[in-house]
Amino acid sequence: MKTIEVPALARVEGEGGLYIGLKDGKVIEIRLDIYEPPRFFEGFLVGRFFQEVPDITARICGICPVAYQMSSVTALEKALDVEVSPQVYALRRLMYCGEYIESHALHIYLLQAPDLLGQPSALDLAVIAPDVVKNALRMKKIGNEVLKAIGGRSVHPVNACVGGWYRWPDVAPLQALLPELEWGLEAAKETVQWSLTLPYPALEIDYEFVAIHHPEEYGIMHGDVSSSKGNKTSVADYEMRYFEEHVQRSNALHGHTAFGGTYLVGPLARLNLNHAQLLPAAQKALKDAKLKLPLKNPYKSLIARAVELVHFYEEAIQLIKTYQPDGPAHLDLKLKAGEGCGMSEAPRGLLYHRYKIDDQGMVKFAKIVPPTAQNLPRIEADLFALAPKLVKMEQEQATLTAEHLVRAYDPCISCATHFLKLKIGEVGHD
Amino acid sequence: MNILVLGIGQSLRGDDAAGLEAVHLWQAKHPNTAARVQVGYSELPGLALLDLFVGMDAAILLDAVQSTKSAGSVIQLGPDDLASFTPEAGSAHGWGVAETLQLGLALNPALAQVRMTLIGIVGKDFSLGAGLSPQVRKAMGKAAAMVEREIQNNLK
Repeated sequence: MKTIEVPALARVEGEGGLYIGLKDGKVIEIRLDIYEPPRFFEGFLVGRFFQEVPDITARICGICPVAYQMSSVTALEKALDVEVSPQVYALRRLMYCGEYIESHALHIYLLQAPDLLGQPSALDLAVIAPDVVKNALRMKKIGNEVLKAIGGRSVHPVNACVGGWYRWPDVAPLQALLPELEWGLEAAKETVQWSLTLPYPALEIDYEFVAIHHPEEYGIMHGDVSSSKGNKTSVADYEMRYFEEHVQRSNALHGHTAFGGTYLVGPLARLNLNHAQLLPAAQKALKDAKLKLPLKNPYKSLIARAVELVHFYEEAIQLIKTYQPDGPAHLDLKLKAGEGCGMSEAPRGLLYHRYKIDDQGMVKFAKIVPPTAQNLPRIEADLFALAPKLVKMEQEQATLTAEHLVRAYDPCISCATHFLKLKIGEVGHD
Repeated sequence: MNILVLGIGQSLRGDDAAGLEAVHLWQAKHPNTAARVQVGYSELPGLALLDLFVGMDAAILLDAVQSTKSAGSVIQLGPDDLASFTPEAGSAHGWGVAETLQLGLALNPALAQVRMTLIGIVGKDFSLGAGLSPQVRKAMGKAAAMVEREIQNNLK
């Protein structure tokens, strides 16, 4: 038996393993075994008051709590048949800008760049390129500061509620962030240029890209679910076209389309489907990059993140400059039984929530579909495409190559648990 | 002299709260000293830990540690000991104190000028739930006394 075992995959969220099965020198099976313990969030939301949901679900992830808050409030507002004011919505987008900035800066520079630059970790990258890492940390910190100014703290912010905000954040602390955001916008433009110089492994995949699309804004909270195969699905019909299934080896569900196909959510999908809605500075950065869209190389999701960084710095600046709190921060909600679904684009991709509540506002049913669960079958399929090369490599190189591919997805197994030891075994032999 | 006393740990992970609890106890026992230094509590400092050292001449960090020593042992480590920690950046969530300090030193050599002390309290049970194990609870007085002694040494 030929078995290759390597240490756990670093720089992803959560725990799991990768198994590659060989028979007669050919790869016949690839499994991402997710053994991070299940977290049962959907179960313990049942019986809670609906207004607790945004802050409970935010605890699913420390990197993208805003995504959980935004998807849940959207779904519950649908269940209660209410619509928030444009001001409330604008502040939600601003908070989301902060999350994108901190999450993308972290992933680009500290999680994926070390792979592309041949460094074992961000610590090693800091030794050879301290200024790069210093700028990365500064960029990330600005995002966290936006979260803090709106939500009281830089990780797991509070303040978002069903119907709006518990209170309007003060104007001054937000405006005080403008100089750093302006610096960050320039740093993000440089990040795009820098991202084009990195040595991406060659791998082109014919993905079905899926993302929220809105004709008038970069789709992260409003719009339909758009697919590169030409399908457009309303949020209400999402579960008619996109399914999850349990696979025995995994504590994460696996997503697929109604036709059984895999699909890709996340920055590549968003950029490919929504580039026309990018704000001007990001449009220019994309044009100057002379990229041929759609981008089909999973490693190049780093470039998509860099372009999005430009967009979200730019949008954050605009939103802060126009922020003038006026009127009630939240709606006066009347309890009623109902059901609603909502979605938003977490930095890693589409995040769907559906809730049923009773006439006392108690949650009777909860369903959460995180982006990584949707991408897991696609990651396995990509690894299958890569596997013939992997089995010919030395163990260390095979590990790094597989790890890099998985990391390029920025998977959040803690969210999906719902990662990574590489095991290559000969099937049918001892 | 600017001194930071920082308790680190998660209050809902059993003995992981040992650093927080020890700082609380020291603060209660030595309010006059506590008024002369900067006191902080951090459940999940992450990379933001580095910001806390700005302008400091000395920093005393209290954190729960895992060790082959028996639960409730209190260990004092200096800068050289910290540097010998093995980075284990297994998760973007999990930037530990030692890794963060190493990253900080690589990015900002001036950080080496901050006199760094880590008081580590060996934990036993880090499972979910509030409350320290009896062995760790018993060690709080010793850890608090070590904080006070270290501050007085710095103030000399």
